[in-house]
Amino acid sequence: MITTGLSLEQAPPFDVPLRFFLTAPWFLVLAALLLLWQGPAVFASRWLPVTLALTHLLTVGFMAQVMVGALLQMLPVVVGVVVPRPRLTAALIHVPLTLGALVLPLAFLSGRPGWFHPAMGLLGFGFGVALTAILIALWRAPVANSTVVALRCALGALLVTLGLGLALGVYWCCGLGLPVIVLTHVHTAWGLLGWTVLLVVGVAYQVVPMLQMTPPYPGWFMRGFAPLMAALLLAWSVLALVGAEGMMKWVGAALAVGIASFAGVTGYLLTRRRRRIGDPTLGYWWIGMTSLLAGALLWWATLLIPALAQQPHIELLLGVLSIFGFAVAVINGMLYKIVPFLAWFHLQAQLLGRAKTPHMKQLLPEKPIRQQWWSCLATLLLLLAAVFHPAVLIYPAALSLGVTGMWLGVNLLGVWRYYRRVLDAGMATESLARS
Amino acid sequence: MSTADMMTVDGRGLEHPEPLERVLAALEQLQPGQCLRFLIHRQPFPLYDILNRHQYRYETRAVDGGFEILIAKP
Repeated sequence: MITTGLSLEQAPPFDVPLRFFLTAPWFLVLAALLLLWQGPAVFASRWLPVTLALTHLLTVGFMAQVMVGALLQMLPVVVGVVVPRPRLTAALIHVPLTLGALVLPLAFLSGRPGWFHPAMGLLGFGFGVALTAILIALWRAPVANSTVVALRCALGALLVTLGLGLALGVYWCCGLGLPVIVLTHVHTAWGLLGWTVLLVVGVAYQVVPMLQMTPPYPGWFMRGFAPLMAALLLAWSVLALVGAEGMMKWVGAALAVGIASFAGVTGYLLTRRRRRIGDPTLGYWWIGMTSLLAGALLWWATLLIPALAQQPHIELLLGVLSIFGFAVAVINGMLYKIVPFLAWFHLQAQLLGRAKTPHMKQLLPEKPIRQQWWSCLATLLLLLAAVFHPAVLIYPAALSLGVTGMWLGVNLLGVWRYYRRVLDAGMATESLARS
Repeated sequence: MSTADMMTVDGRGLEHPEPLERVLAALEQLQPGQCLRFLIHRQPFPLYDILNRHQYRYETRAVDGGFEILIAKP
């Protein structure tokens, strides 16, 4: 048998990734509640503790939660390696990550240094287990295709993000003398441009052609993009730390052009898909790629036009575009592909030849996916508008964020409940047949 | 093996997860001694997982930029 060097090990049990996917949407709801509670003050500056609390509810509670869960699922299928003891590993990551994502915003909000200790312990442990398990698996990968290379770069970036995050935590709790502004910039850059963008890049190489029926990404692009971006990010960080602002600007501009090129290539591929009627998750990719392109161009413009960088709204706009517009939207769309497919796959795997299983579209019809898309788009537009008029628009933006998060959570819970019902009925039929 | 003993499912170019849906539907029809030939444009790892779990015998060959998987009942 020819298997092109890939392992045929079993995919991890459904509950391994599912626990992350079912938890994450409720962090969007928590973020909405925080916005409702604190009101326009949240958008006064990116440096306020309340803004940092909101950011980490979204980046750790929602984004990292799904990204880690998806990696545990993807590694055996795409890379051909298995994470050892998947259920135990998932629990050792999921519980501290979820608690840490709750405690860290509390630490920012309370202003009490003591809260940063448990936050750092929980997140350090959860991400530490995730990084160890996934990096070991990735380094043992029998094939080093473009996705594996991009994932390795993304995981390396998560390691840097975590290390800097812990160092900043020490600053917040113990007042350690650190160049905190520069470290925060570098921490943010590695978290958003390294970990988030490069992980989406590695996943996009596989899923955009497969799920959206587009041509593949160009080979030269797939081979070179992630290592080049990681190298630029490293150079940018070193220049930031030594204070070489002139050089840093040019490397930053190159990074922005790189990100824009990924958004542009993906957008171009999406216009060349083989199906005329788009998949229901296509709209989430459009929101994500448009936001990424807009964010990259805006960043590029601020680097070249110093007067623009002085504008008070720019950093918040970049945050909304990159965190909600790009990452949350793309992850939201991906969840609608991953969760119903896994439910359907695990039903097939367990009930094949024993009981009838539903089609994937019965597990999650297209209509709620398309309906929730409108709330996702409305949230992005309201958040962007709220950057300019927070006093009026922060409340509708918060409500919209709460609605879209809850809608996603309910839709995913619906798939899980349908899965349980079919599985229980199938197993009951089989035991009746046996008796 | 004669063509009567061979069922073919061509999943090349179909939208995900239709190839997998078709091949699993065909597996349910597969008789002992019969062989299912599945043509697909990418390595169908989820299918291998299901085949392994249910002890089907199978063999994969790379053909014309895609893959041919021959499957027989346990």
